[in-house]
Amino acid sequence: MAEKPSIAIGQVMENRSVAPGHFLLTIRLPLSFATPIPGQFVMIRDPDRDEPLLPRPISVYGFQREEGHAILNLLCRVAGRGTSLFSRMNRGGALTVLGPLGRGFTIDPDVRQLLLVAGGVGAAPLTFLLQEGSLPEPHSGKRQVTAYLGAGTAELLTGLNRFEGFCDLRTATDDGSRGYHGNVTECLALDLAGYDAKSTLILACGPGAMIRSLALLLRDTRIRCQVSLEERMACGVGACLGCAVAIQEGEGRTGYRRVCKDGPVFDIGELLWNSPEESMSLS
Amino acid sequence: METDKNTVVPGRLVVELCGLALKNPVMTASGTFGYGEEYAPFCDLNRLGAIVVKGLSLEPRLGNPPPRIMETPCGMLNAVGLQNVGVRAFIAEKLPFLRQFNVPVIANIFGETIDEYRRVTEILTRAAGVHAIEVNISCPNVKKGGVAFGAHPDAAAAVTEAVRGETDLPVIVKLTPNVTDITEIARAVESAGADAVSLINTLTGMSVDIERRRPHLANVTGGLSGPAVKPVALRMVWQVVRSVQIPVIGIGGISTAEDALEFLITGAKAVQIGTTNFIHPAATMEIIDGIEDYMIRHRIGCMKDLIGSLQIVF
Ligand SMILES: Cc1cc2nc3c(=O)[nH]c(=O)nc-3n(C[C@H](O)[C@H](O)[C@H](O)COP(=O)(O)OP(=O)(O)OC[C@H]3O[C@@H](n4cnc5c(N)ncnc54)[C@H](O)[C@@H]3O)c2cc1C
Ligand SMILES: Cc1cc2nc3c(=O)[nH]c(=O)nc-3n(C[C@H](O)[C@H](O)[C@H](O)COP(=O)(O)O)c2cc1C
Ligand code: FES
Repeated sequence: MAEKPSIAIGQVMENRSVAPGHFLLTIRLPLSFATPIPGQFVMIRDPDRDEPLLPRPISVYGFQREEGHAILNLLCRVAGRGTSLFSRMNRGGALTVLGPLGRGFTIDPDVRQLLLVAGGVGAAPLTFLLQEGSLPEPHSGKRQVTAYLGAGTAELLTGLNRFEGFCDLRTATDDGSRGYHGNVTECLALDLAGYDAKSTLILACGPGAMIRSLALLLRDTRIRCQVSLEERMACGVGACLGCAVAIQEGEGRTGYRRVCKDGPVFDIGELLWNSPEESMSLS
Repeated sequence: METDKNTVVPGRLVVELCGLALKNPVMTASGTFGYGEEYAPFCDLNRLGAIVVKGLSLEPRLGNPPPRIMETPCGMLNAVGLQNVGVRAFIAEKLPFLRQFNVPVIANIFGETIDEYRRVTEILTRAAGVHAIEVNISCPNVKKGGVAFGAHPDAAAAVTEAVRGETDLPVIVKLTPNVTDITEIARAVESAGADAVSLINTLTGMSVDIERRRPHLANVTGGLSGPAVKPVALRMVWQVVRSVQIPVIGIGGISTAEDALEFLITGAKAVQIGTTNFIHPAATMEIIDGIEDYMIRHRIGCMKDLIGSLQIVF
């Protein structure tokens, strides 16, 4: 069960550049901040600025409790004005943190093989999943975890160190500078036949194009797959209905779900792909 | 009534609105506070003056395709398109939660036809736990109904009359700013039996992604809300306050107690807080406290002495 979210004033302990346009924020929070579930996110905002107005959603990359406080890690990519300002925040700066929010990943006890598929900063929520204590134990035996990480270049494979040694690792880069030369879905496609559909679960997070190609790849298999989606948000708590994603409600009926509250994690089979232009704004 | 600084006057913030005794003049604006439940972790709902819920229609509505929102300078555009669970599901699934609290619930309603407004009103009037109806004749994001009713005095009056005839609950008509003369609409709905008017709904706006040469919103246009609209909203409240006898509820870009006070001093009997909830989930609580602090500081004993106290003297 997810614990109740709260609003906290966090303090930036460290803000480190990890690759061009990518930075890792370490934020100190009060101990009362609820423990996030992998796949959950927070809404962050600089309380000392009047703009940007709206907070920005960022996945939990790491979370620990230390003496007297909680530590939150966020892995961010500079996408526009808001994230660019976050990237320039100094140690000691204040950030309003609302969270933890949303529905995270669900791993059934019958899953023996876990495949983590990420593109770019999509690795963030999956990294948190690997963090000690976050993965529930399987019913019996050991669970195999294999990560497929993709990025533009080797340099942009951020947070790799948090995967190395914790699971089997396959990498893919668009320029071939590390691992498979091509995108991460193609890399996964090469191995897919080797996994047992019944006991395998794929957890994925990345750009819209990656999720779309993954949906296409898995269409004719029975492998379960949960994806974490991104959409522009205002409230993050399910009130504004701004973060809609089109969902298949059975028998050709369409509905909209809130990425912030009903997601961000959805079963890939629920997503509407018939008219991606209309149903998904992810690109 | 002059009171000493720091004297706690019980009920100092109480306002009477169309027969409802509100603990204070601070309500939440429709569509920005869900059905209350979403903000319960961050706000003490019992402290609110009233909760206005997301717009309800007779049948569930899908809403518009995404992207639905875009941040703009000091504001945001939205084209949610009145997605909602429908009035029956609201009563069955959302209202029981709200009934636990000692706070008036105002149901915001929407229809594509006058008959739909009438039927939604009828259903809500029979439900326990709805204290007033706010009639949205001002949504800019739907093809039929909505602003089409709000932009013409005769149509606005016809909707008001239909709702009025169906309920004994207070009827608040929510006005659109997207008209040449808002006072004309306000007077029309007053004559048709409205107990109060609330304004403003969002201002129609647009924003373009120049890299992709596409509108940012799938609906192309959307409703502008947030601090950017506050001066326009305040001006319209000022105009309407002088044009009608019924109470006026001020809405638009209120983010602080100071903003709320501007509306109250101008003559709004109550205010609604919208977009600010997204930025500061506990903003309503701070605004209530801030209004009380101001009244203590200025030795104002009751809301009556504050509301409409604007002096145009230089
Ligand atoms: C649940 C969730 C988890 C996320 N986790 C992370 C994370 O761990 N690390 C990270 O770097 N980013 C993450 N994002 C994306 C991040 O929220 C956006 O990049 C950010 O909001 C952009 O803000 P901006 O002001 O920098 O850019 P803007 O100037 O607002 O926009 C720049 C570009 O980013 C796009 N964009 C804006 N908002 C979003 C959004 N909410 N989601 C996707 N694209 C958006 C815009 O369409 C535009 O193309 C997440 C988004 C969601 C919804
Ligand atoms: C996301 C969103 C959804 C809204 N939905 C409704 C609605 O369903 N019915 C309605 O009457 N007004 C709706 N509004 C308008 C607000 O209630 C309010 O009138 C407007 O946003 C101006 O106030 P603000 O600047 O404080 O947000 C909505 C506004 C926003 C931002
Ligand atoms: S961001 Fe407001 S409902 Fe999801």
